Amino acid sequence: MNIILYSERPDLASELVTAGRAIMDICGGALQALTIDDDEQADFLAARGVSVHRVRSDQPSPADVAQLASAVHQTAVALEADMILLASNRRGRELAGRLAQKLGGGCLTDVGRFEVLDGRPAFSRNALGGAVEDVRCMETGKQVIALTPHSFAAAGVATGPGPVSDLPVRLSPSLVRLKETIRKGADAVDIEKADILVVVGQGIENKEDLTKAAQIARSLGAEVACTKPVATDRKWFSEERIIGLSGKRCKPRLALLLGVSGQVQFTVGIRDAGAIVAVNLDEKANIAYVADYLLVGDLKTLLPELVKRFSA
Amino acid sequence: MDFKLTKEQELIQRTAREFAEKNLLPQVESIIEENRVPDAVIRDLKDLDLFALFMPEAYDGAGADYQSYVLVMEQIARICPAVAVIMSVNAVGLAAVEIFGTEAQKKTYLPPGCRGDGVLSFAFTEPGTGSDPKQITATATRKGDAYILNGTKRFITNASFAGPIIIIARETETGEVSGFIADKFCDGYAISEPWKKMGCQGAPLYDVYLKDLAVPAENRLGAPGKGFRILKVALALGKIGISAIFLGTMLAAYEEALRYAREKTHRGEPITKFQAIQMAIVDMAMKYEAARWMTYRIGYLADHAKDKGDILKDSAMAKIFVTETAVDLARIAVGVHGSYGLMKDYKVSQIWRDVIFGPQVEGVSHLLKVLVAGEILKG
Amino acid sequence: MGFVVVSDHGKEEAMNIVVAMKQVPDLKMIRIRDRRPLLEDVPFMMGEIDRSALEAGAELREALKGKLIVLSAGTEPLEDTVKEALAAGADEAILILDEALRDGESALVAQVLAAALARMPDVGIILFGEGSADNYSGQVMARVAEILSWPQVGYAREIRIEGGVAQITRSLEDCEELLEVPLPVAVSVVAEIRQPKTPSVTGILRAGRKPKTLWTLADLNIGLNGGAPVRTISRLAPVSSRLGQVIGSVDELVEIVKAKRGPS
Repeated sequence: MNIILYSERPDLASELVTAGRAIMDICGGALQALTIDDDEQADFLAARGVSVHRVRSDQPSPADVAQLASAVHQTAVALEADMILLASNRRGRELAGRLAQKLGGGCLTDVGRFEVLDGRPAFSRNALGGAVEDVRCMETGKQVIALTPHSFAAAGVATGPGPVSDLPVRLSPSLVRLKETIRKGADAVDIEKADILVVVGQGIENKEDLTKAAQIARSLGAEVACTKPVATDRKWFSEERIIGLSGKRCKPRLALLLGVSGQVQFTVGIRDAGAIVAVNLDEKANIAYVADYLLVGDLKTLLPELVKRFSA
Repeated sequence: MDFKLTKEQELIQRTAREFAEKNLLPQVESIIEENRVPDAVIRDLKDLDLFALFMPEAYDGAGADYQSYVLVMEQIARICPAVAVIMSVNAVGLAAVEIFGTEAQKKTYLPPGCRGDGVLSFAFTEPGTGSDPKQITATATRKGDAYILNGTKRFITNASFAGPIIIIARETETGEVSGFIADKFCDGYAISEPWKKMGCQGAPLYDVYLKDLAVPAENRLGAPGKGFRILKVALALGKIGISAIFLGTMLAAYEEALRYAREKTHRGEPITKFQAIQMAIVDMAMKYEAARWMTYRIGYLADHAKDKGDILKDSAMAKIFVTETAVDLARIAVGVHGSYGLMKDYKVSQIWRDVIFGPQVEGVSHLLKVLVAGEILKG
Repeated sequence: MGFVVVSDHGKEEAMNIVVAMKQVPDLKMIRIRDRRPLLEDVPFMMGEIDRSALEAGAELREALKGKLIVLSAGTEPLEDTVKEALAAGADEAILILDEALRDGESALVAQVLAAALARMPDVGIILFGEGSADNYSGQVMARVAEILSWPQVGYAREIRIEGGVAQITRSLEDCEELLEVPLPVAVSVVAEIRQPKTPSVTGILRAGRKPKTLWTLADLNIGLNGGAPVRTISRLAPVSSRLGQVIGSVDELVEIVKAKRGPS
């Protein structure tokens, strides 16, 4: 299996290196990385021992996914790749569909892991809103697989760097003009990377209690995350902090869930956490299924006590 | 026979549910506290065409049917029965004008009634004689181009809204009972302080005092002496609204009990593990289900009856069954809650206070049973 | 100011807005038995995010002076399901009905939608949800754009159209991009773009009377050569390995949290 990997983010690309090597262990073949107009990332990946192709485009337009797909496609053809590994972040997912269409291949996004089945990889992803997990195999010669961020460990620095070579591509003029990039300011957290998470659910009913949850997070050295309605309906947080099917998939060492009912669309985002401790009054049946430890009680009275205990 | 909702009915039900949960739920407490539904609620209901479901579009109604009306009332009452009570009484007034009114009366009173800026009221019950049509004491005396109305009407919903009130009174000349459409808050119209009642707060009940209230002759509803016919139709349709309302409170009580049972633990296990609670849950589920289909069916009957008065027996039976069963179900729901069921923090305690209204309004159960017995045993 | 696209002949030309809809099973109604999902009797519905896309599309109608058309490919109940979109403001529906579309496989659905779009006159923009409520794969928009050689923008949080150009704010994890793209364009939206509106009763009652065009795969000259590119080997509910242990006191909770937190 000839595998190439690409992500605009070096940290995610290095996770793809790990995943790619694991697939090679199953199917054999070669693994190569590509970077697009990003020499810094090329060096970063080469240091991880992988062979890197620096794609040089004649008219780079990184916000134009059609161009991006064209660049990756030309590279895939030139390198006779069978499988293209991408990161399943937003940019990666958008690229995946267009690239698969260009290649006439099958595509899976949000793949969390894979196993070996009849000597080839079978990929797992959530379906039916997270109620079930599908295991799927690709039937096409060409395939595009986008992996959920942080599902695989980042590849470490190798003893010897991989080779770096240049690969020019020709692109048609871009139709998409990037007028401005606005960084997401103070709230640009990456809850996917947090070791410890305090997750706020709708069982926390007012801002005072929310402040207490934040205090607990500070005491524990945790990031605060939330369920979808807390961000979209109550607007207490930006969407960056949403855990779940349409939010982030997190695998912290410890997650403390406060007032989370445990609907399946949420639980898919926390399923892989190390330990899950929950405090909740509502819907015991669901949350008990999700948590390792559950304290049943009224958050209004429990929160002040927890604040005191954890700050001590 | 097909017990499935159509896609349209399903969507109308969802619209009502979304409205109730997003719009009403946050205000329920203040509605109960102030015993008043804000005008904005009625405006929002109108914006979604929920306020006058079965009235024709020509009069600013939604052009839907009684089946949709039943589905909507259930969902509204599930969250806030008071709002549904206001809608139900308005609907009875609208239907009476639509069925018995002249074209001029319809043009004057139906559009504002459908839009909610002229909410209708219906005055039949009296202090001395209750809801006995044969003994109505309010009088209407013809004087030139007007009728002069006198009397007192008791427990009247929507009496404080601007908008017309339909008054059932006895004509002094002939002794016959007729209907009249009066504008509220003119000379001769006065209302009491609202009754201080135990539940269904938000839809206050008033006594209405008529003292030489002059109603133009063209505002008589239907022909002279048509009062009983109007009453029969109004009572038949009113019971559809009341059945649907208490079906909604049943659903709310059942859901509350189910939720509590799932949350509450005893010795580390949810109480749903105990058979006593399981039996209670099944009893509630069965009662709700039986009441539901009986209520939906009278919606269907109303849609297909040429003369809405013809369904009085069926709607009375449904009303008796649903409201009595709602009390039974709420009793079980409170029971599932244990002592917590008595506390104001638990919604089921409010439902308990609301639900007892069912058998006591719109014709108490015993009176209706006499009526139904008469229908069954006649000839 | 309302904007009108001017064609080569200088004639004012309206452009239509298309919203792609996927009918999904009502996820709240899915029960699991022996790790398998029970889908019989689970009703279909329009996905929540598609309702957001429709709401966003409705706001563009004025700028484009065109119709809001809902486009969907699927199986039989679709004729009923699409009433949700028509009730919520779509002017007409174009449906491609075929048993082969039951699985909603992305490559096939994209092929079908693109073929339909190619036949629809004056399409200025097609909107998708960022991912369907059930599978959340998020491929179809990009595949359709590729087939039609249209530009694409994913994860739109805001769309404005002026002078034949769309100004789109794309919301990524760490930044937002303000983009300018000529029409026609394929766009996927995030849920935040608009809250879905609750349809009114009259809207619902009129839905069934709005124009509906039904096409089959044969009408679109689409044959089913070869199998699907992806094969599903199993579909099972995950087994929870969680302890699910109810603890009795705050003391216990504090102890567990401190132990699991590890050194810090």
